[in-house]
Amino acid sequence: MPVTTALVVGATVLAGAVALLGALSTLLRRRIGQAHLVGAAALELVLVVQAVLAVVALAGGHRPVETTTFLAYLGTVVLLPVGGVLWARSEPTRWAGTVLGVAAVAVAVMLWRLLQLWEVTRG
Amino acid sequence: MAEPDAGARPGDDRTLGLPAAESTSADTGTARGPGRVLVAVYGVFAVAAGARAAVQLALQFDEAPLAYLLSALAAVIYLVATAGLARGGRGGRRTATAACAIELVGVLTVGTLSLADPAAFPDSTVWSGYGSGYGFIPLALPVLGLLWLRHQAEVAAEQAETGQNSPPPPKSPPPPKSPPSAE
Repeated sequence: MPVTTALVVGATVLAGAVALLGALSTLLRRRIGQAHLVGAAALELVLVVQAVLAVVALAGGHRPVETTTFLAYLGTVVLLPVGGVLWARSEPTRWAGTVLGVAAVAVAVMLWRLLQLWEVTRG
Repeated sequence: MAEPDAGARPGDDRTLGLPAAESTSADTGTARGPGRVLVAVYGVFAVAAGARAAVQLALQFDEAPLAYLLSALAAVIYLVATAGLARGGRGGRRTATAACAIELVGVLTVGTLSLADPAAFPDSTVWSGYGSGYGFIPLALPVLGLLWLRHQAEVAAEQAETGQNSPPPPKSPPPPKSPPSAE
């Protein structure tokens, strides 16, 4: 089971940490720094590992009922931290951290939806 | 990336980020500062609602046509609002205001109908139950969007009033020097 509860919980904790760091910089009137980049990179790493494992399992015959939706979510969730970091870095005001936080929260929500989709299989 | 020396606590600055630029009146734009957060949330909803509607319409349209068409409509409105907010300017603000207004009417109407007549909405939409399936964000977004757009319009009007004719930033390199006419 590549999309396991353990992996999703781990990624959710990382996403929560990134969101909190983002909120912290906004409160401290700062842009994003290395802590945000490290957090987002760790999150991205877990997401890529999960995506690779999921694609391998799909190739091996695992078929969620809503395979199309599952793949769309899987692709989007991998892109979100990258997009969030790029966009937050180009924002000079203190809202940069919140922008990254929005991406991180979206990742967390989508991960749990992914887990639901993964566990519903035919037959 | 070369970072300017931030002074007293460089280590802290590198970890948590350099001090933020204070927003100035020159920073007008619907996609700047808090506006960028709004565009980010709208973007997430546009993608999420759009992808969901596309799958539903393509694979299972017959199951709940009304709900799926509403999802698609919501996705289009989110997309228009995102584009309007990201573009800014007078036209972008007008587009985004219209989209946010339609969105507010939509979430209130569909929210009320879905609670009054659940049978009409066998499969939920983004707007069912006033967006309760999405943490009520669909209800809060258009309100925040309209407030932000009103604030931006006020800022723009103020600038027009004070006759602030700041020169536009140089977008293209200066024209090449004309060759000396006389030798």
